[in-house]
Amino acid sequence: MKMPFELLAPYLRPSLYLDPGSGSFLIQLLIAALLGGAFAIKIYWKKIKVLFTGKKPEEVPTPTEPEVTPMVTPEDPAQGDQNDK
Amino acid sequence: MTNSDSRVSASFRDPSGFLFTRAGTLYRQVNQYYQADYDLLMKSGLYAALVKAGLLVRHSEAAVEARQPALAYKVIQPELVQFISYPYEWSFSQYKDAALATLAIQKRALEAGMSLKDASAYNIQFHRGKPVLIDTLSFEIFREGEPWVAYRQFCQHFLAPLALMALKDIRLSQLMRVYIDGVPLDLASQLLPGKTRFNFGLGVHIHQHAAAQKRYAGKEVKLETATNPRFNKMAMLGLVDSLEGVVKGLTWKPAGTEWAEYYDATNYSDAAFEHKRELVGKFVERVQPKNVWDMGANNGVFSRVAGDKGIFTLSWDIDPAAVEQNYRFVKEKKEENILPLVVDLTNPSPALGWNNQERQSLEQRGPADMVLALAVIHHLAISNNVPLPQLADYFAGLGSWLVIEFVPKSDSQVQRLLASRKDIFTDYNQATFEAVFSENFTIHESEAIRGSERRLYLMEKRAE
Repeated sequence: MKMPFELLAPYLRPSLYLDPGSGSFLIQLLIAALLGGAFAIKIYWKKIKVLFTGKKPEEVPTPTEPEVTPMVTPEDPAQGDQNDK
Repeated sequence: MTNSDSRVSASFRDPSGFLFTRAGTLYRQVNQYYQADYDLLMKSGLYAALVKAGLLVRHSEAAVEARQPALAYKVIQPELVQFISYPYEWSFSQYKDAALATLAIQKRALEAGMSLKDASAYNIQFHRGKPVLIDTLSFEIFREGEPWVAYRQFCQHFLAPLALMALKDIRLSQLMRVYIDGVPLDLASQLLPGKTRFNFGLGVHIHQHAAAQKRYAGKEVKLETATNPRFNKMAMLGLVDSLEGVVKGLTWKPAGTEWAEYYDATNYSDAAFEHKRELVGKFVERVQPKNVWDMGANNGVFSRVAGDKGIFTLSWDIDPAAVEQNYRFVKEKKEENILPLVVDLTNPSPALGWNNQERQSLEQRGPADMVLALAVIHHLAISNNVPLPQLADYFAGLGSWLVIEFVPKSDSQVQRLLASRKDIFTDYNQATFEAVFSENFTIHESEAIRGSERRLYLMEKRAE
């Protein structure tokens, strides 16, 4: 009979002060190959892009940049009393 | 160890060290246990790079006696952040920026051969408008082959609340008030819309993660379920990149909440609004407070009267949409003196955690030098039925100076509040207000706001 602890024992060491959670550890082991592979492809893809565009990776805009929603300028008096609730 | 030493009550989980105060100065003892990790943090250039990027709080090594010399390796003195706030007080974008800061730190740590050993949302604080890691002892030497020990904590502290706020309801950030170690993933999995199961990132990091936690919780596991697992550095980078992608993909647009569509409804003319701002500016100028707490700040118009004078100002509001707008403005203008936060004044943040001493209540984090209570009294006195003497007591506990706006019953906003209920507020009038507040405060100045029925007061708390 194998308990999660025995399976995880090689990874545990005294400096671990948080319980990493056996499920949380195991799921990372299960998806490791997938995430590692996907990341490797991403890096190579960026390199290929650089080859064609001549831009350094920092200059390649990331498509996942958070969108900026235009906001009301609080100092605009035309908005009336922003504080008036 | 001197008699004036006091260990910070929230600092007990990690044996790497702890915070203590001595004669009003905050120190962090680094234990021998953490020596190798601390040395690598400092010598690898990681510390310098993170401080330069504004991601880690700066510290200096202090030549003072340790609080527990037998355990100590060093004592460091961290730079103080402007204010300690908590995840349940953050707007969506603040929370998201805190999560992205944590992941950015982890990426840089990996480059330097280190890794975060915790990913607590409480370790991130907002300082001069930006998220910063305040726990210098969060790093450990990276050991290739090991999964990320802080993965569970990151998902519970950041990913689950952000996903719930973005995809279910913005108010679910308040679950962080209940669960001190983050939102349980099985709960997040149940609450999130079913379609999120088909989103790869959320499907794996929340739903499958929750299922794995349930499956392996105290049950026997056959070794062959994870044959020769190897979690190499590429896998770790892939994991962090995947989490970053999921977090960046979560968005929330302030709309449909309490005040978001209310901004047009005002009963202030432009002239009255300007006069009110002028008066607030005059009172702030007269008192020159060290800091200001603007209670009920909306998106921070009047907070900026103080903030623009270089005074650190907390901009509290109940509405997550207003706080979101306020924070976006801080980011856009790179403001360093305004910290917008969410709080319900009728139920302010309580003391929480172990022995109720890990997270401080709103009041414990004060007192403020000056409190602004603009256009809030009618909400507290009428909507929430708080009698005036209790209001005066509360504000006296919150700060030394008070700038308060009295909104009479005849005001159309008060009439709106009374429209659907019986008027039981016979004592709610200017004379009673002044008499009651005079018990706790000295009224230095008061002026009618031109073009309105309202009045602005400058009061100072009486010496006890």
